[in-house]
Amino acid sequence: MNARFVQPVVIQRCWLVAVMATVAVMTGFWPGPARAAQQLTTATLDPQQIILGQSTTLTVTLTGSQPQQFNMPQVEGLEFGMLGQSHRVEIMNGAILTSTSLIIRVTPQTAGIFTIPGLTPQSQPLILRVSPDNGSGATGTARSSTVPGALLGAPNAEGIRMAADGAAFVKLVLPKRDVYVGESVPVEIEVGARDGFARPNGLPTLTSSEFTLNNLTRQPENYQKVIDGKPYTVFTWRSEIAAVKPGKFTLSLDVPFTVRIRTRPSRDSAIEDALGDPFLQNFFGATVQKDITVSSPSSDLAVLALPTEDQPKDFTGAVGQFSVASDISATAAAAGDPLTLRLHVTGTGNFDRVDSPMLEHVDGWKTYPPKSSFKGSEATGKGEKTFEQPVIASKPGAQTLPGLAFSYFNPTTKHYETARSAPVSVSISPSLADSSLSAPQAPTTGPTANKTPATPPPVGLRADHATESDTVNTLVPLYARPLFLAIPAALALAFVGTWLALRRSAAPRRRSQYGNSKAVNRILQDMQAASRSRDATLFFNIARSALTTSLAARWQLAPEDVTLDEVDARLGSEGAEIREILALADEANYSGHVMTSTDFQRWVQIVHDQLMEASPA
Amino acid sequence: MMRRILGLSAITVLLLAGAVQPALAQTPQSPAGSSTPDASAVASSDAPPVAAPSSYSATSLYNLGNSYARAGKPGLAVLNYERASLLAPDDPDIEANLRYVREGAHLPVEPRSTWQRVVTVGSPTLWSLLGALGVLLLGCALLAGERYPAHRWKRRAAALVGFVLLGATAGNALVLWPTLHAAVIVTGATPVQVSPVPMGDQLFTLPEGETVTITAEHEDFVLVQTATGRKGWVAGVNLVAVVPRHAGA
Repeated sequence: MNARFVQPVVIQRCWLVAVMATVAVMTGFWPGPARAAQQLTTATLDPQQIILGQSTTLTVTLTGSQPQQFNMPQVEGLEFGMLGQSHRVEIMNGAILTSTSLIIRVTPQTAGIFTIPGLTPQSQPLILRVSPDNGSGATGTARSSTVPGALLGAPNAEGIRMAADGAAFVKLVLPKRDVYVGESVPVEIEVGARDGFARPNGLPTLTSSEFTLNNLTRQPENYQKVIDGKPYTVFTWRSEIAAVKPGKFTLSLDVPFTVRIRTRPSRDSAIEDALGDPFLQNFFGATVQKDITVSSPSSDLAVLALPTEDQPKDFTGAVGQFSVASDISATAAAAGDPLTLRLHVTGTGNFDRVDSPMLEHVDGWKTYPPKSSFKGSEATGKGEKTFEQPVIASKPGAQTLPGLAFSYFNPTTKHYETARSAPVSVSISPSLADSSLSAPQAPTTGPTANKTPATPPPVGLRADHATESDTVNTLVPLYARPLFLAIPAALALAFVGTWLALRRSAAPRRRSQYGNSKAVNRILQDMQAASRSRDATLFFNIARSALTTSLAARWQLAPEDVTLDEVDARLGSEGAEIREILALADEANYSGHVMTSTDFQRWVQIVHDQLMEASPA
Repeated sequence: MMRRILGLSAITVLLLAGAVQPALAQTPQSPAGSSTPDASAVASSDAPPVAAPSSYSATSLYNLGNSYARAGKPGLAVLNYERASLLAPDDPDIEANLRYVREGAHLPVEPRSTWQRVVTVGSPTLWSLLGALGVLLLGCALLAGERYPAHRWKRRAAALVGFVLLGATAGNALVLWPTLHAAVIVTGATPVQVSPVPMGDQLFTLPEGETVTITAEHEDFVLVQTATGRKGWVAGVNLVAVVPRHAGA
């Protein structure tokens, strides 16, 4: 720390530079008589009484033409820091008097009365009175030079003991009961740092070697909290401690901090406080940075020894509340197959002391050393530890693995307890290789003639086939090969195409038949209408017109050329009905032939048949 | 018209014969009961011989499966039995030994339904030809309906037979389709991962001999689905496809 004081003076004000330059010029060029040797050194301390956490100013004035080497005073409990210096030149009666003032910040590290020795043999010592902050009177316990106990105040009602300047606090929450050796005790650690004034630069550590603290995460939970109107960031760790030996112990935590300490008296810092912003305060030189260690209030904790009575032989030091269960990787296996027997220990406690040898000697089984794995939270002590032990059955049949036991000390009941798992049943079949080798090799029956017929064995592999079957180049079935699929696909397309072509070629004939049928129906309807009106003349005229038109089309004649003679000549006896219709038509026209309704229906049917027969196929 | 139909049918038969001939090409037959090179590798080496042979026969695959079963390698045994069942699905020996090995390896064995037994009476090759014949019958019935409307019952009978043959072929394909896309785990406790990367998180393990369905591939990993519907990525070296995708697969 003293090395800082022998370094060159840091000039913090620009006007100081100008004054120094002026002095240097004047002392360099002024004649010798004007120079006066350094004669006097004065020192003042203002103020001489401060509160812990504040600083005071020591002003040392050196008279003389040349500023000389100045050694900082060393006082236990006080820290000195150079803030700046100023030069003054006076001309009195033609004589030049120069003086240099050194401004030094004095920061106490503890409360009390300090004596700053005289800087010269002739000067008087200076007295600095430092009173505790807020008049609390709690000075804490100064333990080492790195732990400025004077910065520690008294804990408040919430168990928070704030640092002297109110920049940080540490709180340790312990269970309010006695604990046992090895028992995992959940603790909660709260570290508060005033925003902009302090920040923790390390993890909390226990001050007592009788306890172990589980690893703390470097990224704890944090939240904002306002205490006495000032904002704090509170970091919270939830972990566990365990006592290593019985007894009554005092437990506390240390947390390293980096804080900014005010360098001026409170009354001079009113404007700086009004600035509010720590950055602005630092900019105007109101605070300096300092590493301190803050301790939590001490807590007393009684640690009880584990009872020796009724301690199980397999007790490994596990303290807590646990339950066990076991299972196996497969409930059926072949002899020689490796299986994994698992023991699950779940609960709350010191899982680092949870251990189990699993099975060691079981008839019909070969066992191997187990391995363990833990899943859970070390902070809360809750989780599950799983032991996995490879086991191999050497004999076939129904096997049972015995249940597994695990002993622990229950701090709630204050007794040793043993948890047991249920036995595990496993069906072991003969090994596959053994059964294959022992399987009957008798030939078997099969659908193909190339296999030797025999009765299939009830168990074991059936024998090899004696005769080679047809071979193929690929296992892909024919219907899954594109080359084969193309053929039925093309075949189907060809069939559909041909069918469509046939349908298209027959379309005109179908349309002609459809048209003829409509014309025939129309003629027949006209004939029916004539018959209902008993108009024989109209009836036979329609019939003759239809028949002559149809026959003319068939014979490629004009309708008027279809005469009775032509009908006789072309149709002969087959045209008798047509000939009769034509004759009746002439008779009806000239004689008014009267017919019954039955006759009308008969001639309608005859005309229908003749017209349909005459229609082109 | 009848001449055209007959001519078309003759051409179809010729084409079918030409297409089937390469597939049914006969290869020099090995002595009865002899093992293939794969089978001989079983006794001499522990490395799984997964290279696809140049030709297959139901007998050689069946005997190879027996060899692997006796050597205590259920994965390769199941693989060869599955391959043999593709060529001879109605062989009771193949089915019995496949069931025996699966039971010995503690793998689930599902009995075949009556429908599966019916449509797998014949080999896939036979059903392929019968399916093509069904198409032929259906087509002829369709054309004859245009040309000979009087023979209605004959046409309907031919169409019915053709439809049945075609349906049975489709059923055979439907039953064998999962096997055509299946693979068999050939290494014990094969890890099934979330992602197709070597350091992927493990979902579960598959026992040797488990038959899975291949749904996708990515570099050296295969996305598989188990019979229970669980999916995951398996390193390609841990399984062998029942139907090799390409030579040497």
